[in-house]
Amino acid sequence: MHHANHFYGHAHVLARYCGLGDGHPPRINGYVQHGWNIGDGLAPGHPYVEGTPSLLWSEQTRRRAWSVGRRNVVVTGAPFAYLLALRADDPPQAQREGTIWYPFHGWEGQHVRGDHRELIARIRATEPGPVTVCLYWHEYGMRRVRRLYEQAGFRVICHGYRGHWWKDTDPLFLDKQLTELRRHRRVASNRLTSAIFYGIAAGCEPAVYGDPMILADEDPTFGGTARIRRQWPDLHGESVHLPTAVEIARAELGTDHRCTPAELRELLGWATLQEEHVDH
Amino acid sequence: MTTDTSTRIALPGGEMLAWSDLTGRRLPGGGPLAALAARVTPAGARVLLAGPHDPELVDRLAHADVTCLLRSWPDGSALAEDRPVRVVVGGPGGLPADETFDVVIAAAGLDAVESVEGAPVGWDGLLRRLAAVLAPGGILLLRLDNPVGLTRMVDTAPWYAGRADADWAVGGALDAGRPVNLEQARERLAGAGLRPGDCFAAYPEPAAPTALVDAGALAARPGSGLLDAVLHGACAPGHGDRPVLQDPARLAVDALHAGLGAALAPGWLVLAHRAAPAVPAAGDPPNPAGAAPPAPTAEAGPGGLPVLWVQTGPPGIGVVEVTAAADGWRWRVPGPVAAATDAPFATRAAAWRDPAVLTGAVPEGRLLRTVLLDACLRRDLAALRRLLRGYAAWLDAHADDAGRLTGATALASHDNVVLADGGPGPALNAGAAPAFAVLDPSWRASDPWPVDVTLARGLWRFAAALATGGYAHPWSSTLDVAGLTVVLAGTAGRDLDRATVTAAVDAEVAVTAALRGLDNADRVALADELRAVEPTAPPTGLDSHQQLREAWLRQKAELTRVTALLRWTEELLTSRERALRRAEATINLLSGSLSYRVGRLAITPARLAKRGARAAKRRAKDALAPRRDEQEQQ
Repeated sequence: MHHANHFYGHAHVLARYCGLGDGHPPRINGYVQHGWNIGDGLAPGHPYVEGTPSLLWSEQTRRRAWSVGRRNVVVTGAPFAYLLALRADDPPQAQREGTIWYPFHGWEGQHVRGDHRELIARIRATEPGPVTVCLYWHEYGMRRVRRLYEQAGFRVICHGYRGHWWKDTDPLFLDKQLTELRRHRRVASNRLTSAIFYGIAAGCEPAVYGDPMILADEDPTFGGTARIRRQWPDLHGESVHLPTAVEIARAELGTDHRCTPAELRELLGWATLQEEHVDH
Repeated sequence: MTTDTSTRIALPGGEMLAWSDLTGRRLPGGGPLAALAARVTPAGARVLLAGPHDPELVDRLAHADVTCLLRSWPDGSALAEDRPVRVVVGGPGGLPADETFDVVIAAAGLDAVESVEGAPVGWDGLLRRLAAVLAPGGILLLRLDNPVGLTRMVDTAPWYAGRADADWAVGGALDAGRPVNLEQARERLAGAGLRPGDCFAAYPEPAAPTALVDAGALAARPGSGLLDAVLHGACAPGHGDRPVLQDPARLAVDALHAGLGAALAPGWLVLAHRAAPAVPAAGDPPNPAGAAPPAPTAEAGPGGLPVLWVQTGPPGIGVVEVTAAADGWRWRVPGPVAAATDAPFATRAAAWRDPAVLTGAVPEGRLLRTVLLDACLRRDLAALRRLLRGYAAWLDAHADDAGRLTGATALASHDNVVLADGGPGPALNAGAAPAFAVLDPSWRASDPWPVDVTLARGLWRFAAALATGGYAHPWSSTLDVAGLTVVLAGTAGRDLDRATVTAAVDAEVAVTAALRGLDNADRVALADELRAVEPTAPPTGLDSHQQLREAWLRQKAELTRVTALLRWTEELLTSRERALRRAEATINLLSGSLSYRVGRLAITPARLAKRGARAAKRRAKDALAPRRDEQEQQ
């Protein structure tokens, strides 16, 4: 299985949904889209084996993937949608307060250009309640960056390590994220990213504002930040129309395309498993 | 030959002594063609059967005075031997000049009236001769083959390559001497002084059609689920049929939806009338000769004739009709209906057919199979979910308290269910629940079936058609047919397991065996065949060049995928082996270091003590265990 399937504990969530328990998930016969994507659903630069199924979040991504030459593209919805099914009311959503703010992150190989101080000032000026800043593990590990947010009076957290080459994946990454999202009234970021869609699906009011912090070597293939703003203007701003946001998040996460456990087992290649249960 | 027989055979000249026309496929009871012929023939009418006809058709005209004109001496002789009819064996010149007939039937076409002896008369000449012997008020029933009909389109041999014995002359679309479409046929009939009436499209082959459908109905209802099912059923090739270029059933349904169901029919049966100045003929509204024909009734056959005749299923039930009434189309089984209620109990077959229930309205709407295929090809998953969930809920609604289905609903697959609201258009997506109905309720399961088995059987059949037919469906090519069935069930909101799919395939074997009347060996062969259906194989029972090529392309794509996957796996294995070697080297390095040895020496007493404690604990446990048992017994 491609190691990206393990990112954020996606394979673990899917295995739990399929009734395979909390152990190490079996190999997936395909690529699971591991983040909201304005391209073909696969991460640019990842090795791709021809004809291997792509298990994508949304119908729009499927059409786009097909148009750029991908085949065997199947819409299954985001792993987060499956987590929502597993934890429909856990934790209970009654106690919500403040905003969870996701400063945009690159991944390990990328470097973000931008001014965190300017962003902090914007957050303080905008957010009405207490703010939790969730940093990507990479930035969370940079004391200088973490301090900046802590000194601003924000609670600073990290959902965990997404994992790399099957190692150190936090199988509860998404679980932690869902738990945090359900504690907050708002979800915000300086870019439209997976976290915003997760937040909307978890019942938060979304907001996207502030310096989008352009990556030093951002891949321009699919249009980048400018295109995201052009295509999803309704989700940008300090306050957005919630019903519209909910509808868009539903489509982008493919919530309606969520499979039944038996159906998902077939699509992931888990219906007739050959390997024994493998403990991590 | 008896003396009586010889007196009933006239030999006016032009007979073919070493020739027989009765070599083609025959249907029980003469099929729909005999039903049509019998229907247009009033009791006591003088009938001319011009050209070779199925002897069973002759039997269906027992209420009339029949004369047969045949070119073949052996055929004429055999007919006169078996049937009490007058037989004229000869060429078209042998028609009695001073005699007329109330009904003239040329259901083998005009070419089959022509003899090799004497000068060829030609299509128009033959029509004029037949028209000449038609009495005022009489009816002509004429077959015309379509030179660009779908039979010819799917034929592996081109029409112009005919070199069989019957092809001493090859007629086709290039022959200006014959009509090549319905419009030209009507013009020629009018030119011969007849008033062309309505027309029936003959599927799948003009010589022995299993379905005759009114051309007006085909044009008026291109989306009809009934016509869809009838044309598909008539054209679906069976085992042992000759090879074709492409699936004729697909082509027929596509033609129907494009409004070309009549234009691309393999052949037509056209009715024409000679005007009766005074008294209208039976079943025919009065109309002066030369006047314009009545406006097509669109959905009803001429003079109250059925909209269609179809012969399906096991022999014995005969031909089923659909008639047009003021409130829509209705099923009808002509003739006495045999009581079949004891059939399933006598044979313990899984399914049977009860013609007695074919009396009600034909449900209107599109065929579920077609609507589902369309949604699959458009990758409209929302519509598919809505359709399949509606279908599953509809099955549920018919189940008894134990969750089982009986009768027709138990067999309600996508090829026998219509969707009343017309498909996944805007109306369907808007929120109204789709309404389903069983199209032909005469197919019935003998025993009650669990809802899941009915659902899985329907979905398995659809999945098999989808995969082996090469349809570009919205799921992965890596799914096998059982997997695709489970995925379809998931789309229907049901979490089916593979065991249910296996039960559904067994049910399909039982139903097919019952409907085809298979013996045990054939049934086992069928079971093996159905269980082995793979997405990379062509459809079972269809020897089609196009489908074979598509299956080959799917196999090729699968090989490419598997080869690429193998290469990737090899690379990955190499990289993981390298990682393992690095880890082993690190372990060896650490285990050989001084700090490791010192540490190991330090913890050795602790390890030994722990091992000893475990052993002591185990001994104590063993010693206590029987005593505890004894206490429990006390």
